[in-house]
Amino acid sequence: MLIHVHKFDWALLIFLICILLCGVIAIYSASTTKIGNEFQTENYYLKQILWIAISILIFLIVLKIPYPIIDFFTIPLYIFSILLLIVVLFFPEIKGSHRWITLGLFNIQPSELAKITTLLLLSKILSKPHIREGQILIRSFPIVILPVFLILLEPDLGTSLVFWVILFSLLAFSRLPVFYLILIISPLISIITSFNLFLFIIYMVLLCYLLYRMRLSLIIVGSAAIVNIFIFIITPILWNSLKIYQQNRILSFIDPMRDPFGAGYQIIQAKIAIGSGGILGKGFLLGTQKNLNFLPEHHTDFIFSVIGEEFGFLGCIFILIMFFLFLYKIARSINKIKIKEMRYTIVGILSYLSFQVFVNIGMNLGVVPTTGIPLPFISYGGSNLLVNIFAVSLVLKYLNERRTF
Amino acid sequence: MFNSKYKPNLQVNITALIFIILGICLFNLQVIQGQNYSHIAENNYVRIKTIFPIRGEIYDRNYCSIVENRPSFNLYITLGKIENKENVIKFIVQNFNIELADVKEIFQKNRFRLYQEILLAQDVPYKIMVETSELMNFYPSLSYRTGTVRNYLYKNHFTGYVGRINEEEHHKLKDQGYSINSMIGKTGLEKYYESNLNGINGYEIIQVDASGRSLKFFKHNLTKSPQNGSDLILTIDNNLQEYISSIFPEDINGTVVISEVETGGILAYISKPDFDQNIFVNKLSSVAWNEMIQNPNKPMLDRVIHGTYPPGSSYKPIIASLGLESEIITRDTKLAQCKGGLNIGNRFFKCWLDKGHGKLNVVNAIKYSCDVFFYDLSTKCSLEQMNDYTKRSFLTVKTGIDLIGERSGFFPTYKWYVENYGKYVGIIGPKVNISIGQGEILVTPLQMCFYFNAIANNGKWIQPHILEKEIGEKRTILYSGITKNLPISTKNLEMIQESLYKAVNERYGTGVAASFPDIEVYGKTGSAENHMGKKTHAWFAGYVKWDKPEIAFVVFMENAGHGGSVAAPLAAKFIKYYDKMRIE
Repeated sequence: MLIHVHKFDWALLIFLICILLCGVIAIYSASTTKIGNEFQTENYYLKQILWIAISILIFLIVLKIPYPIIDFFTIPLYIFSILLLIVVLFFPEIKGSHRWITLGLFNIQPSELAKITTLLLLSKILSKPHIREGQILIRSFPIVILPVFLILLEPDLGTSLVFWVILFSLLAFSRLPVFYLILIISPLISIITSFNLFLFIIYMVLLCYLLYRMRLSLIIVGSAAIVNIFIFIITPILWNSLKIYQQNRILSFIDPMRDPFGAGYQIIQAKIAIGSGGILGKGFLLGTQKNLNFLPEHHTDFIFSVIGEEFGFLGCIFILIMFFLFLYKIARSINKIKIKEMRYTIVGILSYLSFQVFVNIGMNLGVVPTTGIPLPFISYGGSNLLVNIFAVSLVLKYLNERRTF
Repeated sequence: MFNSKYKPNLQVNITALIFIILGICLFNLQVIQGQNYSHIAENNYVRIKTIFPIRGEIYDRNYCSIVENRPSFNLYITLGKIENKENVIKFIVQNFNIELADVKEIFQKNRFRLYQEILLAQDVPYKIMVETSELMNFYPSLSYRTGTVRNYLYKNHFTGYVGRINEEEHHKLKDQGYSINSMIGKTGLEKYYESNLNGINGYEIIQVDASGRSLKFFKHNLTKSPQNGSDLILTIDNNLQEYISSIFPEDINGTVVISEVETGGILAYISKPDFDQNIFVNKLSSVAWNEMIQNPNKPMLDRVIHGTYPPGSSYKPIIASLGLESEIITRDTKLAQCKGGLNIGNRFFKCWLDKGHGKLNVVNAIKYSCDVFFYDLSTKCSLEQMNDYTKRSFLTVKTGIDLIGERSGFFPTYKWYVENYGKYVGIIGPKVNISIGQGEILVTPLQMCFYFNAIANNGKWIQPHILEKEIGEKRTILYSGITKNLPISTKNLEMIQESLYKAVNERYGTGVAASFPDIEVYGKTGSAENHMGKKTHAWFAGYVKWDKPEIAFVVFMENAGHGGSVAAPLAAKFIKYYDKMRIE
C-alpha cells in the first residue's frame, strides 16, 4: 500500500493542489492580452500543466522508493548538482547570466536542484549522532560555500541567499548554542554598519555585551571583537577597489530605486499593478498593467502583481492564507517525526519555501530587494516547480511512513 | 528558548510573522492606497520614454554627403488603446498603403506590447498626413510623431541600407537598447558599422500626474541622455564614383573598383546594374520585392565582392610570378613555340591568336598575352603549387574588406576534381586551362584590384577598406588596412611591372586602348570564356603612375567581349577624368 490513509497528510496535499491551481490561473491570465475586444493567450499555462503532470509522477516515485535509497543517493546527487552548476557556466548567457542549461525543448536551472541536494546532505551530516559543535561548523560550511560560490559566478545573488537561509535555519535547529549563531551573522552586520562609524560602535558594544552576558570567556569575546573590527576596516577598502558599475550593481540590489531604468521601474510597475487592484480587483483577464513593456517577467517573478491586479486584496489574502496553512502544516509536522535526519530536512524545506514566498511577494510589494526568486508553485518554470514538489513529496513521504506510538 | 520541545512553535511563529508582515503591506497598498494607485494605473502616469539617438550619417572623402537623415512624419499605433479592431484596421489599410496581412502581422507580433507605441508607417506623405489628421480623433490608438528617415542620395552597393528590425534581430539586440521600432543596418556599411552608426539610446522616466505634479517614486537619474551615432567618412571619392557610374554602358552588367595604392582605401566602387536603396527603408511590398529578385540582371547582387568569375588572362601575371619565383623560368627562358596552339598529351590547346606568337620570354608573353607560354609553364608546375601561390597572392581568399558577406572565390584542388568528375579525371587539362585564368578558378573583382594594387605598391598588399574615419561625439577613429607582402622578389616584381607597362604602351600590347602619352598606365587585359553567355567576360586590371603609382583599378564587364576592346577603353575614360581631377 502506497498511502497510509490515516497517517497521510491530506490537508497538506489539498493546500498544495489549491496553490497549484491558483498558479495555473494566474499564468493563464499573465500570458493573455486583449486588443479591442479580442483575447489571445500564450501556451505557458499548458506547459505549466504539463510540468505539474510530470511532478505528480515524481511525487508517486518519491512515495514509493524506500528511505535508504534516498539516503544512499544523497552524496551522489549533491556531486551531480555541483557538476551541473559548473557545466551551466559554459552555456550562453540569457538575460545577462548563465543560469540555464539550454536543451532545445526546455531549459534546466541547476541552482534549483542544488538547493534540495545541498539541503539533503546538510541534514545527513548535521543529524549524525554525537557530532560536536565545532565539527558541525567545519563540515556544514564547505557544503554550502561550494554551490554558493558557483551560483555567484553565474551571477545570481538572490538564489545564493537561499542557501544561507537553509544553513542558518538548520544550524539554529541543531543544538548549536546561540552565541555561535550570533557570531555567524555578526560579520554580515559588521559589513553593513561599516559605512557608518557611529552605528558600528553601537553595534560592537551591543555584540560584546551580549556575548559577555552569555558567560563566554573573555578570549572569545575579544577575538570576536577583533574579527569584526578587522571587517569594519577592510570593507571600505574592498568597496573602493570595486569598479563603479560593480558598486552600482550592489547598491541597486539593496535599493532598487537607484536603478529607475531597470529593477526600480519593475518594482514601481508591480506596486502600481497590485495597488490598482484595490479590494476586489479588476477581474480575471482584465488587468492592464501586466502588458506594460519593461515588466517582462509577469508570468514568472512578477506573477503576484497579476494576481494582485486582477483579484485584488481578497484574492491576495486568499493566496497568503493558503500559503500560510500549507507552511503551517509543514511546520507542525516536524514534531510528529522522530528520525533526526528527516526532521532536519523538513526544517530546511520549511525555511527555504517560507523565505522564497516572503522574498517574492515582498519584492512585488516593493518592500524587499528584487532578487529573481520565483514564487513557489505559482510562478511559471519547470525546474523550480519540480524541485519544490519533490521537496513537499519528501515531507509527505516522511509523514506517511512515520512510526506512530 | 531553543529547548527542543518548543522548537516547532518557533517555526510556526516565524512563519506567522512573515505572513502578518505581508498582509499588512498588502492592506496598505491595496486598501489604503488603492484609489491612488488605480488612478495612476488608469492614466499610465509612470512610464519610460525612450529617446532614440540620431543615426550617424555617411560622407565621402571630401565630406560630401552620401547618406543623410531626412525629417519625416511617422505613424504609430498603441494597441492597448484600440476600441474597435476592425475599424482601425480598415482605416489603416485605406489610408496608408499598407496591406491587410501586414497590419495583422504587426498586431500579432506586438500583442504583448499593448502600451508601447508601435511604428506602423514611416515617412507618411505630407498630403496624406493633412488629410487624415482630422479623422485621427476617432482613432485614439493612432498618433503621428516626427522622426527621421534614412535618405540614400546615390545608388550604390557599398552603403547598404537600413530596414525595420525583425523579430530575430530584436531578440538578439534588445539588451542593447533596440526597440521593436528600431531601424537597423541590413547590408553593406550600414550593417558592418551598425554599432558605430546607431549610438546608444537615452531614457526618460515620466512620473507626473494630470496636474503636472511629480509622483516622487524616483528621486534621481530621471533622464539618461542618448549618445548619437558616429558619422562615417569614407575613402570613396563621390565625384569619381558618379562619373564612372554615368559612363558605364547601360546594357552591360559589371563592376569598376578603384583603390588608392598607398592606403588601400577604395576610391570608387561600382557594381552595375544598381538599385535605389531608399525602397528598402519603408516596408517593401511583396510585388516590388519579387520584381527585384526575379530581374535576370540581378541588380541586388554586389558584383564587386559577391560575384565570382574566372579571371581570364588577367590572371597570367600570377602564374608568371610563380614560374619566376620557383625558378622554373628566368627572364630569358623561352618556352614552347606558339603556332596558334600547343599539343599537350593528345589534346590541342588553342592560343587566342590563330597565327601564333612564336617563341616568347615571360615579359613578352604577358605583353602579347600569349596562351601557349602559360600552357607550357603549367606543365612544369603542380596544381597544388598554383593553388598555394594564388592564395598567397590573396586571390581566391577573402580580402577582409569592411562589408558584409564577402565571397572568397574558388580554386579547384585535385580532390575536388575527383569528387566532381570521377576517379579517372585527367588533371592536366584543367590545370592547363587554369594557367590562363579559365575553367574552374573563380575570383572576385575586388581581389583582382588589390592584387594589382599590391604590384603597384612594390609588393605590399593592403587590406581593402571603405571607411577612412569615424567621427563620434567623443572620439575620432582613423581606419587603415593590414599590410602583408606578396610572395615575390623585387627583381621579379620589376619584371612583372615592366611587362604590364609594355602590355598597355607598346605596339601590339593587348591594352593599348588605355595608353596615354603623358600618363603611365600599367595593366593586363582578360577575356574569360564562361557558361553564362556567348561573349567572353571582359577584364582590364592595372594601375596608374604619375610621380609614383597612385591608383589601382579593375574593370569587369559580364559577357561584354574582349578586355582590350571593351574594358580598356572604359578604363581610359576614367583615368583621363582622374588625371583632370588631380590637377584641379
